[in-house]
Amino acid sequence: MISVKHLKKSFGDLEVLKDINVDIKQKEVVVVIGPSGSGKSTFLRCLNLIESVTDGTVTIDGEELTDKKVDINKLRAEVGMVFQQFNLFPHKSVLENITLPIVTVKKWSKQDAEKKAKDLLQKVGLLDKANVYPESLSGGQKQRVAIARALGMEPKVMLFDEPTSALDPEMVGEVLGVMKQLAEEGMTMVVVTHEMGFAKEVGDRVIFMDEGYVVEENEPKQLFDNPQHERTKAFLSKVL
Amino acid sequence: MDFRFDIIVEYFPFFMEGMGLTILMSVVGVLMGCILGFFIALGKMSPILIVRLPFVWYINFLRGTPLLVQLFLFHYAALPAILGSTTPVISVMVTLSLNSSAYVAEIFRAGLQSIDKGQAEAAHSLGMNKFQVMRHVLLPQAFKRSIPPLGNEFIVLLKDSSLGAMIAAQDILYWGRAASGQYLRVWEPYLMVALIYLVLTLSLTYLLNYLERRLDVK
Repeated sequence: MISVKHLKKSFGDLEVLKDINVDIKQKEVVVVIGPSGSGKSTFLRCLNLIESVTDGTVTIDGEELTDKKVDINKLRAEVGMVFQQFNLFPHKSVLENITLPIVTVKKWSKQDAEKKAKDLLQKVGLLDKANVYPESLSGGQKQRVAIARALGMEPKVMLFDEPTSALDPEMVGEVLGVMKQLAEEGMTMVVVTHEMGFAKEVGDRVIFMDEGYVVEENEPKQLFDNPQHERTKAFLSKVL
Repeated sequence: MDFRFDIIVEYFPFFMEGMGLTILMSVVGVLMGCILGFFIALGKMSPILIVRLPFVWYINFLRGTPLLVQLFLFHYAALPAILGSTTPVISVMVTLSLNSSAYVAEIFRAGLQSIDKGQAEAAHSLGMNKFQVMRHVLLPQAFKRSIPPLGNEFIVLLKDSSLGAMIAAQDILYWGRAASGQYLRVWEPYLMVALIYLVLTLSLTYLLNYLERRLDVK
């Protein structure tokens, strides 16, 4: 489904990703963990080219994102992304946030887009908020709308960039709940998170990154209970 | 000191005519300034240096030289050379439009650049192209943020339009000078001129405040 080969990314002289090789299968839920500055968010952002790639290739569903000839907007439409800061459009209502890309990018009619948006709001439990503006929502509600907005494009993959890090603790659960439901429905997901509980419970595989490398990857149980590398052990001893 | 109200009464119809022209010239100036300024702002934000450079210098010139000098330059040199002839009103409108376009461009640019980077990233991540991101996500938010500084620009422009009297555009100040010349009095005509400008700018201020409340600008 996703194949990353020799991915490198530099910001000026600072090399953030040094040589990343990862393969992700369809319906797999991959959780990326690691200390801050390890490059895990940058790695995720390279998967839909929100961040340009310095070297290496990223292939999604047989199409190479890093190929200059490829229609990047079309590919991005098939890769949903959820951000730490939600990034809802504040000048659009909750419903319009979801319908805007469906109408402008997928070229659906307004009626069809609204029907789809309402189905999705129902799914994340926020149908009653369809006509309010994002500013009146709580953080957890905003993030659930952001997930619904990304799902509106019917993506093949969903990327989550620390989706619960900006939330008050009591709102983390409602967002993780929606993500868990998505995973159960068979969505391919890549999740950067500090929620080790989620990684253990929902993840099929956990990738530990440090200083721009993938240090270790394994099934959650193996990685958490029996880490092979010193750096993994040191990190886990601090967060668990 | 006696105050000759009869001069003001006699010139009142002319002052009203002048006021009409002042409003017309300012409105044309600010509207054209907004349209031109929008494209200049986009040009100045180009990542390509050679595209950006002419816009940078357009703004440098219009913001870095006195408006009165620009007015003389357009009225006596540039417009006659380009159009063959010009009238004071046309010269004032052209000068105000170009001058305000430089300031408006900077207002729009600041508005666009103040929008959080995450907005464009989210829109791009949903597959929207550059044009769609601009049209549906960035511009509506940037425009709303630009309303208060645009209002200020409009007020400045309205006052600056009085420079038109220097090339005999028949605005409010023109008629004040005419009255002063005819009766050799200075207080009555110029106080009246100041009062009319004050009424105009205060009305505009209230109008803009109302607009800001209606559009819920923060």
